[in-house]
Amino acid sequence: MNDPRILVVDDEPAIHRFLTPALSAAGYHVDRADDGAGALRAIATHPPDAVLLDLGLPDMDGKEVIARVRQFSRVPVIVLSARDREAEKIEALDLGADDFVNKPFGVGELMARIRAALRQRGGEQAQVEAVLRVGPLEIDRPRHRVTRDGEEIKLTPKEFDLLAYLARHPGKVLTHRQILGAVWGPAHVEDTQYLRVYVGQLRQRLEAEPAAPTLILTEPGIGYRMAE
Amino acid sequence: MPQEDKPRASPDALLAMAEREGKGRLRVFLGAAPGVGKTYAMLQAARAAQDSGLDVVVGIVETHGRRETEGMLEGLAVLPRRSIPYRGRLVPEFDLEGALARRPKLLLVDEYAHSNVPGSQHPKRWQDVEDLLDAGIDVWTTLNIQHVESLNEVVQRITGVRVRETVPDTAVQEADEVVMVDLPPDELLKRLAEGKVYVQDTAARAIERFFKPTNLTALRELALRRVAARVDSDLLEHMQSGAIEGPWAAGERILVCVGPDASAERVVREAKRLADLADAPWFAVTVERPGTQPNARDRALVDAALRLAESLGAETRALVGSDIVDEVLKVARFENVTQIVVSRARPSRLSRPFVRTLADALVREAGGISVHVLTFAEGDEAAPRRRTPPVGGLDGYVAASMAVAVAVLVGEGLTEYVALPNVSMIFLLAVLMPALFYGVWPAVFASLLSAAAYNYFFINPFYTFTIARPHEVLAFVIFLFIAVLISAVGGRAREQAKAAAQRVRAGRRLYEFTRKLSSLADTNDVAAGAASEIHAILARAAVVLVQRPNAQKGPDEELHLAAAWPPEDRLDTASLSAARWAYEKGEPAGARTGTLPSVPWLFVPLKSRQGIVGVIGLEAAGEPLDPEARVLLDTLADQTASALDRATLAGEMADVRSAAEAERVRNILLASISHDFRTPLSSILGASSSLIEYGGRLDPAQSRDLLAQIREEAEHLDGMVRNLLSMTRLEAGALDLRRDWVDVGEVVNQAVATARRRGATQRFTVELEPGLPLVQADQILLNQVLANVVGNAVRYAGPAAGINVAAARAGQGVEVSVTDTGPGVPAGLLEHVFEKFVRAASDGRGAGLADGGEGAGLGLAIAKGIVEAHGGSIRAESPVPGKGSGLRVIFSLPVGQMAEPETGA
Repeated sequence: MNDPRILVVDDEPAIHRFLTPALSAAGYHVDRADDGAGALRAIATHPPDAVLLDLGLPDMDGKEVIARVRQFSRVPVIVLSARDREAEKIEALDLGADDFVNKPFGVGELMARIRAALRQRGGEQAQVEAVLRVGPLEIDRPRHRVTRDGEEIKLTPKEFDLLAYLARHPGKVLTHRQILGAVWGPAHVEDTQYLRVYVGQLRQRLEAEPAAPTLILTEPGIGYRMAE
Repeated sequence: MPQEDKPRASPDALLAMAEREGKGRLRVFLGAAPGVGKTYAMLQAARAAQDSGLDVVVGIVETHGRRETEGMLEGLAVLPRRSIPYRGRLVPEFDLEGALARRPKLLLVDEYAHSNVPGSQHPKRWQDVEDLLDAGIDVWTTLNIQHVESLNEVVQRITGVRVRETVPDTAVQEADEVVMVDLPPDELLKRLAEGKVYVQDTAARAIERFFKPTNLTALRELALRRVAARVDSDLLEHMQSGAIEGPWAAGERILVCVGPDASAERVVREAKRLADLADAPWFAVTVERPGTQPNARDRALVDAALRLAESLGAETRALVGSDIVDEVLKVARFENVTQIVVSRARPSRLSRPFVRTLADALVREAGGISVHVLTFAEGDEAAPRRRTPPVGGLDGYVAASMAVAVAVLVGEGLTEYVALPNVSMIFLLAVLMPALFYGVWPAVFASLLSAAAYNYFFINPFYTFTIARPHEVLAFVIFLFIAVLISAVGGRAREQAKAAAQRVRAGRRLYEFTRKLSSLADTNDVAAGAASEIHAILARAAVVLVQRPNAQKGPDEELHLAAAWPPEDRLDTASLSAARWAYEKGEPAGARTGTLPSVPWLFVPLKSRQGIVGVIGLEAAGEPLDPEARVLLDTLADQTASALDRATLAGEMADVRSAAEAERVRNILLASISHDFRTPLSSILGASSSLIEYGGRLDPAQSRDLLAQIREEAEHLDGMVRNLLSMTRLEAGALDLRRDWVDVGEVVNQAVATARRRGATQRFTVELEPGLPLVQADQILLNQVLANVVGNAVRYAGPAAGINVAAARAGQGVEVSVTDTGPGVPAGLLEHVFEKFVRAASDGRGAGLADGGEGAGLGLAIAKGIVEAHGGSIRAESPVPGKGSGLRVIFSLPVGQMAEPETGA
């Protein structure tokens, strides 16, 4: 009974049909809800460890479910949404969703998101750790030092701030606004061009092959994601 | 007997029958005088009809308090009257709208000749009845013979009483049945004595004159003759429509000339009688000379006569031309007229031997056409037909005086050297000059002045007005005669030149109008253009109402105000209903017509080949329109109608074309969906069912391969759905660009990475110019562009080809090119690669085309749509310049505003 509980909220039986065995096989306990009201009830009565939420529900807008859940719970919410609905996804993320998966999706991708979400939750303390590790990178925050495979890499202070912020949320998508607000301040949340330039510079210095980045990944139209 | 030898039904007769189809039937109860019992007879018949199960309603019946008649009303449904406010009183009137709403099978409407209270829909009750018949309601009505328009005159002569309320003959002829209600005069007089005949109080004095046995007998005879004539024509029509051979009425056609004289109406009535006798169609024609402004009285006379003619069933024409005889004969010949009716104007006693009257001229020139010349008794004033030319302004006379003065001076100078008779020639010049420039009267003035001056200065004894020698008297008289002649001829020439100029001007205006309208393609533009042009030409406010496109049935929805000049966005209800009437009946309505004449607009229907497409309204307040303008308005209406017609057709054609294009796209889409979607679906079904059936017997590697195939094909399907969605959005114009700063290099790298991940075997090279600017674009859509272009190369360049993706600065933007070393595209196909559903032959060999790797032939079309939505451009080159093969797709994106990134702290 110590398996993490995942609540799957979707009105399509076909989705439940393949998700339930897949998630069980991956070692999760699966709860099921078919609409927004059911989801809210389930989260309130049997708090899950993570929620998979389809945004198109029959009884209420999925975004409203997120807003209501956030009034009483910090459970990680992963949104399932069609690929061409970026605005909806960004809205959901800004309302407090933790991540998203494009529909249709492969199970591998979904599992990665769930793992990242659960880790965020379990390792909230880890975020404040002085030294963060991402792949070959070691980020020493107090000393503003970054090493790659033990080799020091020179970064400007803003580059370092950006990298440190991304590294504190490995595997989680961060929207442009979230990153800009945290690194440049609330006055610059619209200045995406800063982000493009700095991410480009960081990739040039950190990535083995900047044209095919493996550390800082782009989520087109939404934001960036640090590799786990 | 062979089929074709059978006599054929006359088309006219069949047409008349067809026109009657769907219309209600009219029965008229005709009497010779009031009191013969028409209303009673009608009610009696109505009761019988109701007893036989017919839906009978009494629309309006005047019982005048007669108990016998009132008794007959019992048991019949009576329509409530409608109260119309008039001069502070409420006048109960027949409720036309109520009757139309009630729609009985048979409606009784008493007193056919009744005049409605002003403010009613129509001025006359017979017009109400027409509407009822049009609506398919059968109507029974009553009428006394003296109310028939063409008999009005005769009745007046018989009885000495003028009847004001008349019904046009056409309205009586339309009756399907006429029932003669007859009472011998003795009986009638007896009823009168018993007080059984209702006579209006005001007419009390006329009773004695009217109800005389002689009068009644004459009227009775008139009525009986009328009915008998009707029976004849019914029989004739029946014979014609039944193609029964027999003696036919001669094909007489009658034309009556209407001029501005008091006898105009009488001529018209006379013509009507002639036309009736000959059972002939007839025309009433008036001719206006161009450039002359008839005075209000003349115009009123002509208008009244023409309206009368129209109500008597004539076709009316208002012509414009300087030669009246010529114009009349032109129309007569064109319409195959056999008889012309004209009144003989009485020239003044003096001019009688010299002046030709219109009648004389017609008699002389109307070869083959009989001319009836009507003369009138001495008391009848008859204005001369020929219009005197305008007297002209003062300047003409001043000029004439000066011309004569110059002639005197020149003459004085010349007499020194030349003999006397030649001097008179100079004066002739002095006469000709004002004749040419100022018209007849200044010329006549000049000729008289010249004669005086000539006498005074050049005839012995000089400086007196006396003439000494007899031969000089003769010379003087001849001079005067020649001078007057010249002035007349010269003046006429000038008038004709002026008229010609006016015609040219009118023609040019019309040409301009047509040209302007023909350049407009949209119905609303045509309406607006027509309104402003008509306003410019006729100097009156104009409105254009047109059919609503795809109008649902129902009169309220069909017409709408499309344009007005000066701008106006609504018409009052009365005007609208006049417009609607004109639209529905195809006849003019509103001011100065028989329908809703109190409305301040004259509405003319726009008749085109497609039927009536709308209505033009012309402001009719103030001066009435002169005939020239009225003719012009009709012409303008015709031009507008055909322009509207053309615009509508053009619109319909465009619709049809785009519908056909949509149909084509839909068909291709269906075909490609069924093909392109089935391929991956069958792989998925095949692979998964194999796993289910034989999973146990397959080795792990095979199983994994089948599973991988399922996944790949599903991803393929996902891509196709995405492209179809994008295409739909692009087509619907619903592509919502979410512009943001985008690093093109990143997008390029991502596209290449995705292609590799999906198993592309080609050699990829990426060339990114260092320091590429960011572009303002929708990153997701840009990803799709590159994915589609790269995917196209992957799909068609061949597995071993090289694919180069490059991005570089180009002018104000960034240019991205995708070049492959594949076989390229044949020249004929190159220009089509960005069109929808263009792609490789299905065998997949050789030059293939245009696909984002997801089938359906949409890839490059979507790329083009997205690039263009960003304000960029896309093109293809094949073979690649300097290579001899391969395909290169290049697209450029504008940078947008570049913001310098903040660096450092």
